[in-house]
Amino acid sequence: MASTVVTDQVTLTVNGQSVTVPKGTLILDAAKKIGIDIPIFCSHPKMAPVAVCRMCLVEVEKMPKLQPACAVYVADGMVVRTTTEQVQKYQKGVLEFLLINHPLDCPICDKGGECPLQDQTYQYGPGASRFDFEKAHFDKAVPLSDKIVLDRERCILCWRCTRFSEEISGERELALIQRGVHTIIGTFNDEPAQSNYQGNWTEICPVGALTSREYRFISRPWDLDRTASICPGCSMGCNIQVDARHNRIGRFQSRENLAVDDGWLCDFGRYSFPTFQRQGFEAPRVRQDGKLVEVSFEEAIAAAADGLAQARGAVAGWASPAATNEELFLFQRLFRQRLQSPHIDHRAFRPTWPDPDPDDMTLPIADLERCDYVVVLGGQEVIDAAPVLHLRLFKSERRGVKVLKIDAEQGARAREWVPADAQAVGILATVSHKKEATDLQAALGKKVKGSVRRLLVVRGPNGRGANDLGILPNFRPGYEGLNGQSGKGRAEWGKGGIGAAYIFEASPLHAFEATEDERRWLSGLKTLVMHRFRASPLDDLAHVIIPGRAFTEKAGTVTNMEGRVQRIGRAIDADAVPDDWMVLQAIARKLGAPWDYHESSDITADLLDLIPQYAAVDRGERVLWSERT
Amino acid sequence: MSIREVLEGPLYIVRALATTFKHNARPRVTIEYPERQKVVPPRHRGRHILHRYADGLEKCVGCELCAIACPVGCIVVEAAENTPERRVSPGERYAKRYEINLLRCIYCGMCEEACPYDAITMGPRYDLADDHPDKFIAVKEDLLEPLQASLGDTARPSAAPSAQAEPRKW
Ligand code: SF4
Ligand code: SF4
Ligand code: SF4
Ligand code: SF4
Repeated sequence: MASTVVTDQVTLTVNGQSVTVPKGTLILDAAKKIGIDIPIFCSHPKMAPVAVCRMCLVEVEKMPKLQPACAVYVADGMVVRTTTEQVQKYQKGVLEFLLINHPLDCPICDKGGECPLQDQTYQYGPGASRFDFEKAHFDKAVPLSDKIVLDRERCILCWRCTRFSEEISGERELALIQRGVHTIIGTFNDEPAQSNYQGNWTEICPVGALTSREYRFISRPWDLDRTASICPGCSMGCNIQVDARHNRIGRFQSRENLAVDDGWLCDFGRYSFPTFQRQGFEAPRVRQDGKLVEVSFEEAIAAAADGLAQARGAVAGWASPAATNEELFLFQRLFRQRLQSPHIDHRAFRPTWPDPDPDDMTLPIADLERCDYVVVLGGQEVIDAAPVLHLRLFKSERRGVKVLKIDAEQGARAREWVPADAQAVGILATVSHKKEATDLQAALGKKVKGSVRRLLVVRGPNGRGANDLGILPNFRPGYEGLNGQSGKGRAEWGKGGIGAAYIFEASPLHAFEATEDERRWLSGLKTLVMHRFRASPLDDLAHVIIPGRAFTEKAGTVTNMEGRVQRIGRAIDADAVPDDWMVLQAIARKLGAPWDYHESSDITADLLDLIPQYAAVDRGERVLWSERT
Repeated sequence: MSIREVLEGPLYIVRALATTFKHNARPRVTIEYPERQKVVPPRHRGRHILHRYADGLEKCVGCELCAIACPVGCIVVEAAENTPERRVSPGERYAKRYEINLLRCIYCGMCEEACPYDAITMGPRYDLADDHPDKFIAVKEDLLEPLQASLGDTARPSAAPSAQAEPRKW
């Protein structure tokens, strides 16, 4: 009988089906592997088991009592049954207890229709309640913060939210207060919650106790049109699902991508959607005799093309790092080929910027967990630039990765802190501290045995794509130099020699943000074309205003900070406004370009011809520039 | 034509007239519509009514269960939140927009059956003819019963959202 081979695998049977899983697997996960569903409320794949809801009780042979499948590890030869009469009786019992004080709020509850408690009551619960007395009442619609509404009656005390704030975000903001039937969820002293990750609570809460204020009573889940997209908040590139109703954005939900967001979103990104909500359709405007006059799109495009052509060779072009790769690809072609003006940029104003290079993204986000030392150069500044990074760093720390958060100037401290025998070192910094990051990388490269890699957080959901596609005065797409034909960067535009400017402000979150000096020289231009989604402070200086589309109204690809090319989807119809790439094409055609694209996917195809590395988009992978050499 | 047929002719006329006069004396089954309206049975499924509680608050909470139950999809509901300044229904939520396309409606009564608050019922009205399709979109104001009509109906379902009641503090 005794097997002499020691393996890490154990074999057990669940409902008569045999399954082999690694040691240390929970019964719940082993059953899931063969498609057996065990109902749960408190268990969550990313949190340690607590077994408080008792919903997952199963029968395990040779154990006297039912066992919680979410907290018992498998053992060789274990025999588990999940559908016996006793299990069913307990499931009914647990649900009946949960429903004793759970209000019959489903019709007014935002979770109704996608609520695990509803679903499991249907599937496993009793049809009726035997509880004839008045339910316990707690406070309803408690504002937990300006983002979250808490309904204490609906809470089933699964602890998921409190465990999130302890194990996932590490902020320990939520706690269980009181005991027994009096237990409630709350913050310390009832102060408003401050976390930047509160939206995640609403997604993990298995009932409608925690709901988003922005989404309150907007829709029922079955009304929503769901479109897979990417968060427009920052260069992290978290995967989202845009839920829209009646052609209005209702909410952004997480669409788990373990390599990028690990299933979480930050509140900055999640609740940024009102910025992209269309307020109406405005007409393009052209300045005539000093006044802006409404015109048709054709006239505005003709006026823009005219004005830009007159300044041929001396046109400055700024594209937002929130524009899609397809738009940026056309943008740089328009400037380099049609306007003979390589003066393009996508960056914020700064006297000098370090040149980007493909090595800025040699450290994939998910690999942070596999480093032994991570230096966050800039500390909170890096987290603010890409908030979900904090969750990844905290997870890594819990797994034993040493993380040092220091100011960007304190590189010397990091040099001492990382020991020479480190196997894998990661450096995180924002792009404005690239120099400090590369210096540290070089120094550590000499000191430690293992690898030292860096990841720079860029600005905007497609800041990386803007670098890759050469929205820079001195690089062609693919980081190829321009052999002395470099144009002027944003910092030099004000110094003269620029006759017209085209500002493509695709997202209000990543706008041009002109400095006082810039406003001064912009106001002296003969032609300023503003192509933007929302009214911009530069509108009053513009000669031509072309309304554009929101992030949620177009399709295309964006590249996140680690070089992962991901698709955004068109969730909202805005057919009255030409797509941003169509405007760029129309202007280029006026200037003699033979372009004839009909879909943004046609542009993607051309883009792949130019930069074959971008074929990674079809595999959901990162662009590996090393393939170039 | 035979002589017999010629002689029988007037007889037929008399018999026919007799039928006519007989019916003249019988009770009438038609009514003088539209001056007079037919009384429909209590469960008649005519145009919908949105009901109110005795205090005038609307019963509908904008849950959209009627909309999802409707087999032809002719109901649109959009909900909003009650505020202390503007309280429309007893709970947290009310229907900001409630529309039924009466041309699409097949008067099946599924909406009535789905409603957890008895907020919508099929009413007695059947004379729905009009001269433009747009006029068949019944909006909330058309469907809501007038304020005084509900007075006297004091029963509020026990499942009504409990925000109304002072929450018991433990
Ligand atoms: S608020 Fe939701 S997530 Fe938190 S304990 Fe209650 S039911 Fe669980
Ligand atoms: S970290 Fe960035 S991409 Fe992710 S949710 Fe936040 S803003 Fe959006
Ligand atoms: S009566 Fe039937 S068809 Fe008409 S609105 Fe109600 S559910 Fe829909
Ligand atoms: S009428 Fe009834 S079912 Fe329809 S939205 Fe109102 S409360 Fe819900």
